[in-house]
This record gives sequence, C-alpha cells and structure tokens, in this order.
Amino acid sequence: MPMHELGILMGAIETVEKFAKKNGVTDIQTLVLQIGELSAMIPKYIEDCYPAAVAGTLLQETELKIEILPGNAICQSCGKVFNLIANHDACLSCGSGDWEILCGKEFMIKEIVAC
Amino acid sequence: MNVYKVLEIKQSVFDDNDRQAELLRNELKKEQTFLLNLMSSPGSGKTTTVLRTIEALKDEMIIGILEADIDSDVDARTVSGTGTKVIQLHTGGMCHLDAEMTRQGLLGLGTAGIDLAILENVGNLVCPAEFDTGAVKNAMILSVPEGDDKPLKYPLMFSIVDVLLINKIDVGAYFDFDFEAVKERVTKLNPGITVIPISAKTGAGIGEWADWLRTEVRNWNGN
Repeated sequence: MPMHELGILMGAIETVEKFAKKNGVTDIQTLVLQIGELSAMIPKYIEDCYPAAVAGTLLQETELKIEILPGNAICQSCGKVFNLIANHDACLSCGSGDWEILCGKEFMIKEIVAC
Repeated sequence: MNVYKVLEIKQSVFDDNDRQAELLRNELKKEQTFLLNLMSSPGSGKTTTVLRTIEALKDEMIIGILEADIDSDVDARTVSGTGTKVIQLHTGGMCHLDAEMTRQGLLGLGTAGIDLAILENVGNLVCPAEFDTGAVKNAMILSVPEGDDKPLKYPLMFSIVDVLLINKIDVGAYFDFDFEAVKERVTKLNPGITVIPISAKTGAGIGEWADWLRTEVRNWNGN
C-alpha cells in the first residue's frame, strides 16, 4: 500500500480543487503532474492510488498524466551536465562523484485541461 | 459543446503546506514558543530521548510534548508519567504530520506559557522529510543498530535536519557502526549539521544535546 504517495497526492488534489473553485472551473478532464526522477514519489504508485485520492472530489472522473523530469547534475570537477540515474551517480565525462543536483527533485502540479 | 483548454497551475505540491508552516512559525515567534520537530525510524529511541530531554531541561523551562502516531497512546502515557503536558495525535494512517495537523496539535496542547514544544513525529525517514511542520528547528535520531549507511539511503531526511543525534552509543561495540563515516556522509549532504552522539539509556551526551537545545530555545524566545 503506497501510503506515502496517497497522503501527498490527496494534498495535491486539494490544491487543484482550490485552484478550480477560484477560477470558476467546473469540469476537469485531465490533471498533469510533473515528477522528478530524484523525488521521493514513484510514478507507478501515484497512478495506483490516484482513483482513491480523487474519489468524491471535483477530480473524480479525470484522467491523470505524469511527465517525468530528468534528474540532472553538474560536475564540480569538469562542469559537465549529466543524468544521475543513467550514469549511476558518477560524472559521464570524468567519473567524478563530486556534483551538484540541478533538477529532478520536483513534484509539481503542472496544469489541468478543463472548462 | 464545452471547449476544454489548458489551465497552467505550475505549483509545487508542497507549496500550500510550506505557506501554512511559515504562518505557524510566525505565530510561535509571537507566542515565544520554540517548536522542535523530532524525527527518526521506529524504534530508534525517540520517546526515551524525549524523556531524557524533559529531565535535563524541566527545571529551567516549561515543556509540552506532542506525540504523533498512526495509532495508540503508549508514548503519550509514558511521557505523561513525568508530569509534563502532553497530547497524543493520531494521524489516522498517514505517515507524516503536516503544518495544519501540527497547528491542531499545538491548539490542543495550548501553547500559552510553553517555552519548548517537542513534536515527536511519526517514526519514518521518508515522508516527514517532505513536510515542513512549522517547527523552528528539525532534529533526527539515527540509532547505532540501524547502521551507518542510512544517510546514503535516506538523503533527504539527513539534508533537512539541523541536528543529528546518534543514539544507543552504549551498544556501539556490538555493531559495525562507523561514526566517522556517518559524519562524513551527513556533512556532505548537509554542511551546517550538528552531530551529537548520545545514549538515551545511560544519559551519555544528553548534556551536550540539552546545551544545544537550550541555546536554540533562548535565541528564539529572545531571553
């Protein structure tokens, strides 16, 4: 049971409902989330618990779309930007383990398709 | 026929909670109440550490405890034996506390006159790290039997805390726990972190921990 994802997703659904009310939106078709490769969210689990999270809300009948954002870092030794997951946490160019994360920790509500 | 269009929201899922947490911190500043968020895995010795902390500081400040668990009130009963004001919060299955739940807990406890409130968060190294509770400082406990590789496995938790207590040092001889490796790993994630080895059982290191906390409480409460 992906309890972690469910609780966080329910918070996100509440945020979307607030946004919808504020903007006079009554019919939502699709919710688009962005999840970074380095975030603590697992897209598969988010998908699994989505029906439970939206039950009884404005988003009950909506479709969920997830966009994955890359987990990229910049090497502190040679300046190369590389993907941490694909390169197993070592710089693609010089192999250094000394890097700083540029992106990939996000968990964002990107947009809704609605009217 | 309705025309669907894309409405951009572009908001981090954690934004709402972050705002609530900031509001709560401002209120605590006015109330002169210092809130410590204490996190760890289950069984790392949070409650015993809380008891030791009460013992060390109860003569110089008024302390209140918020015990958060998925269920049961065993921790609250243990703490109430010390005569300290305590409230049990049930998260109802949720794996963490957010700022709004913390606010409810503080309301239930009553912060008037409380110098130091300690929130014993749900035992978990993943979710509580994502949610700002509104605490002034965040602390975590890593106990020796859990192993020195935990900073590698749960980097977010170790990167957001102000202080790391390494508990159960009294059983250090029975485990292959490398203190230097832990310090190096957490400092890489979090250069500003304070690391204090303690044994909540024997009381070792509690003095240093109490000193750290006392200084922070005084700085916040302005006395």
